[in-house]
Order: sequence, then structure tokens, then C-alpha cells
Amino acid sequence: MKKLISLVALASLGLGLVAASPAADLVAAQKARIAAFKAAPKKRPHVAFVSNGVADFWTIAKAGAIAAGKDKSINCDVTVEFPGGGLSDQKRMLEDLVIKGIDGISVSPIDPTNQTDVLNLVAEKSLLITNDSDAPKAPRLCYIGMDNYDAGLMCGKLAREGCKGGKVAIFIGRLEQDNAKRRRQGFIDGLLGRTPDATRYDEPSKVLTEAGYTIVGTWTDSFDRAKAKANIEDVMIKNPDLALMTGLFEYNSTLAVEVIKQQGKQGKVQLAAFDEGADVIAAIKEGFVLGTVVQDPYGYGFESVKVLNAFCKGDMSMVPANGMISIPARVIKKDNAEAFWKDLKAKIKAGKEGGSKDAK
Amino acid sequence: MKKALGIIGIFTAIFIVASVFGENFLTGINLMQLTQRASLYSILALGASLVIVTGGIDLSIGSVVCLSGIMTPWLLVEKEWTPMQVIPTVLAVSAFIGLCHGLLITKLRLQPFLVTLCGLLLYRGLARWLTGDQSQGFQGEFEGVRSIALAKFAIPGIENYRIPSTVIPAIVLAVAIGLFLSRTVWGRWLLATGRNESAARYSGVPTARLVTLSYVACSLLAGFGGMLFIFDIGSAQPSDFGNFYELYAIAAAVLGGCSLRGGEASVIGVLFGAATLQVLRNTITLVGLSSQLEFAVIGTVLLVGVAADELIRRFSARRLERLGART
Repeated sequence: MKKLISLVALASLGLGLVAASPAADLVAAQKARIAAFKAAPKKRPHVAFVSNGVADFWTIAKAGAIAAGKDKSINCDVTVEFPGGGLSDQKRMLEDLVIKGIDGISVSPIDPTNQTDVLNLVAEKSLLITNDSDAPKAPRLCYIGMDNYDAGLMCGKLAREGCKGGKVAIFIGRLEQDNAKRRRQGFIDGLLGRTPDATRYDEPSKVLTEAGYTIVGTWTDSFDRAKAKANIEDVMIKNPDLALMTGLFEYNSTLAVEVIKQQGKQGKVQLAAFDEGADVIAAIKEGFVLGTVVQDPYGYGFESVKVLNAFCKGDMSMVPANGMISIPARVIKKDNAEAFWKDLKAKIKAGKEGGSKDAK
Repeated sequence: MKKALGIIGIFTAIFIVASVFGENFLTGINLMQLTQRASLYSILALGASLVIVTGGIDLSIGSVVCLSGIMTPWLLVEKEWTPMQVIPTVLAVSAFIGLCHGLLITKLRLQPFLVTLCGLLLYRGLARWLTGDQSQGFQGEFEGVRSIALAKFAIPGIENYRIPSTVIPAIVLAVAIGLFLSRTVWGRWLLATGRNESAARYSGVPTARLVTLSYVACSLLAGFGGMLFIFDIGSAQPSDFGNFYELYAIAAAVLGGCSLRGGEASVIGVLFGAATLQVLRNTITLVGLSSQLEFAVIGTVLLVGVAADELIRRFSARRLERLGART
């Protein structure tokens, strides 16, 4: 009889676990806290913006976050953190911010699937939103950024316009991140002219031959630039008839430009780039890079702080039903490269002048 | 030379496999690029071998590569210094780092592991702070000074292969270090220090000065290597540039015949050690293996190679013993 009772108890516990998803509970709990802020809004919230690494891209985002903190209509304290040591560093920073009693955090999770614990912790003790790279299964209140699949699609279409067929190689820093996977898949679907489907996934090690293109592979480098450069050189050796390549992280495109120039392959190997590396923009202006797909990191930073501040005042009206606040990517080609570059330099300058990671 | 035979064997085996199975492996441009990469890593490995010879270790090589590599474009582009000012400054900073390591190890008697581990954190932190975490690059300029690492020299009669300029410092340094270790009193003293520091000291060898010198040389070469790396790559991000390069340098030195216990070195072995790692990485791409398998393949091939080398040595030693017993 005792055994039977234990079994029933275990079964009901199991059913209970299945029925109540912790993520849904944590979202509900955060919404309840926001509702409570309506009656007693935080006077001057302190919010944080956490990147997924260190790059110029994040300096621009920092400029946006700090500008939002200083904006008269927002007016809150902002802390910006750039984890330089990968996943463990980001975890430590998030935990420290929670300990500090931060009111809300916007984070670009490096590996959302395996960061459940720390993201749950943030949601439990603070308010969690994501930027740049989403964590759809985490208890985040919204995602601010572009759809990386759509951005990849734009890059793929740019490549398709400029290169009508042949061998194609993909270079990317790492594939663990949600944004990297989606961006790569978007690129493939856009290049091959497939019907868009963000749930599709082509294995990185598989050679794809479709619609006149042969995607010879995807190479990662774990952010080692010497390795990233060697990857490009080696793939060009293995495939002397390579028609097109894409670098899906900023430095992949910059190094691709470097290798193309060093090997005198301007115009012979096409490049569809991603992000706003100085050499890439210069190469677009010179005419040997098809174009680049750029995000709006300034917007990510600004909107993150604006949204978290609103939450601390009890306002959730700016979050659409699908939970995504879209800041679309755009394509930079020869005709708009100069204007884009001037605007970007001004934003980087503002980010640098932001100085310390805590802006008040 | 005997110590290098193992790594030369491993290198030859990988080279043959790559030539047979690797698409376009034996093309001039691929061999040229491989020579370039092997030379760059050799410079770091030669520095590491000088410290390993003394029984020490330098874990800060990657961070010194980062600091010098980041400082070079930062001073040239942001601070508008001339190359004639930048190169000596960066080299002096690197040598000073080595001097600090040496003095902390010999005068304060701190563990080399600890000193250089702290250095690993310190110099990367400095590089990040100096540049505000911004990636640093030459922005399409300074082609002249970059040609120190990018120039290629034609060989009469050979069309597709040109010798990369980085070969010159690598060879010059290898010859100099080889002669220093085998033909000079100081070199022999350095080896003696690594074999048994106390015995060497009681024999009147200035061990503290030699150990300090080895750390200065190691950091100087890491700084020089970092500068060549950045000239080659064009831009770098302070948070990740040079990450784990100390491991490549140490691995190349140890594979090449340097004993981690000190007192043993083989310059030719170190060059082959550095080249083996680069040929292996290149082979993985050209053979068409998944890039995710890279570290697994490198680890397996090296482990099998080193184990086979050790077994062959033991077998030969036993055979010689048996032959000796018979006569």
C-alpha cells in the first residue's frame, strides 16, 4: 500500500511539473511585479545592458543605452557590461547584477538553451528582456532586435543578386548562438531562392547543391582571427573556383576582404558581408564587395533601456503580442555606404565618450 | 637532432597524408601560406622553448601577443606615431614584461606558473583598457610597415611559390638560438640550469641572470610575434586576440623535443613542432573533415604520433641493450 501511495505521489508530482512550465510562471511573476509598479513606480530605476561579447558593435549599442538613460523622457541609471570571456563570464556578470539588486536586465544570451538557470534567476529576481539574440524558451518579457533569419535572408538575396551561381562558402565565429544559426539558415534560404522557413536547418557539415549554387560548407573559428583568416585561405585553396563567400560575423567579413585583397581576387570572388567593419565599408565603396547587411545596435541599446524603464513604471504597452520589438536590419551598398559610415562614426564616438560602464 | 626525429617523423607522415588526400595541398600558394603561418607560430614557440629549457613556463605569451598586437595599430592609427617610434616601443614594452617576470621569479622566488598566469590576465586587461575594448586595425593604411609580414620573395625558376618575409626572422632566430644553446658558454649554462639549478648555481653559473634572460627573450619574441601577427591579419579585438597562443607555442616546443622538466631543447624540433600543428589544421580543411572535429583530430594525431615515437625509442633502446649484452 505504501508503495502504491508513493507511486501516486510521484506521478502527481510529475504531472504537476509537466502542467506548470517554470518559464511561464516566471513570466507571470514578472508581469505581476510590473503591474504592482503601476501603483508604486520606481523613482529612478537602475537597469543593465549585457552584451554577448566585446566588439565595436557593442560599443555602438552602449552609446544607445547611455543616451537613453540620459534622455529626459526616460531618465534612469544604466550599467553596461561586455563579457569578454564567453559563457561563464556572462553568467558571472548576470549573477553579480542580480546580487546588486538591478531593476531590469537586457541581455544578448550566448547560449540560451544551456543558460536556463541564470536566465531564470534574472527573471526571478529582476526583469528579463533579450536583445540581439533571442532566447524564446527563456522567461523573457520581450526580445528587442531584428529577426536574424530575416537578416540572413537579406544577405542571401544580396548574394543571389550579385552572383548567379557557383561555389559558395560560409564563415562564422561560432554556431552555438541562436542568432548565428538563424542568420546562417536565412542566408542559405535567401541564396538558394527557397520559400522562407525559419524552422528549416541545414547541417553545417553537409554540402548543398541547389539552384545552381554549391554551398561547400560552413567554417567556424571560435573568435580566433588567425584561425578565421586561415579558414578563408584554406577554403580558397581547396576551391580555386569559389564564386562567393559570406562572413556572417563582423570580423569574418573584414578578414574576407583582407584575404581577397592579399590574393588579388577582387571581382573574382564575390563577398556578401555582414555588419559594419571599416574595411568592408571601404571595399563596398571601392566596388569589390556586393554589400553588407547591418543591424542597428544603437537602437538595441536605446530601446532596451527605454523598455525596461517603462516596465519599472508599470507600463508594458509597447510590447506587441508576439513579444518581439523589431528593429530591422538594412542593406548597405555602394550608393549609401558613405552616408552610413559618417553616421556610424558619430555613434561610435558617442559610445567611447560614454566612458565608464555605469552611466548616471 | 636526435630529439627532433620524432616530430620530423610525425610531420612527414601528416605531410604525405595531406599530399595524397588534401585537395590542392601541394599548390604553391597553399605551401606559401603554410610557411607564413608556421613561421609566425615558430617565433612564439622559439621563445617558449627558451623558458622551458630552464624548467620554467610562460603562460602569458598569448596576452603579450595581444598587448603588442593591439598596441601596434593603436599607436600608429589612434596616436599617430610613426612606425620608427612604434616598433622599438612595442618591443621594449615586451622585453620589460619579460624582465619583470624574470625578476619576480628569481629575486622574489615566485612560481613561474603563478607569475605568468597573473601576466596572462594583466596584459589582456591592459590591452582592453588601453583601447576601450575597440578592435584595432590599420584601416587600409601602413602598407609599407605591414610588408614586414606580408612581403613575399620570388625564387628564380619557381612560379607559384614565393618565400614569405616572416620566414627570415624565424630562421634567423632559430639559427641564433641554436648556436647560442650549442656553441656558447651561456647557452650550455642555460641548459645546465634547466637540468639541475642548484648544482649549476653551486658550480658558479649565474642561474638567476640566465633565467631572467630567458623570460626577457620569451616575452620579446612573443611581442615581436604579436606585431607580425597583426601586420598579417590587419585587425584584432583585444578581448580575443592571441587567446590560447601560449598553448600552441608550448605544444610546439614540447612536441619538438623540449622537456618540461628543463635542460633539453631542439631548435629544429621546435620549428617542426610549430609547422606540424599548422599543417594538421590545413589538412583538416583540405581533406574536407568537419571543422568541428579540428581539435579532436589534432589531439588524436599528436597523441598517437608521440606515443608511437616513445614506443619506437624504447624498442630501439632495448634492442641496443640486447646487442650490447651479446657482444
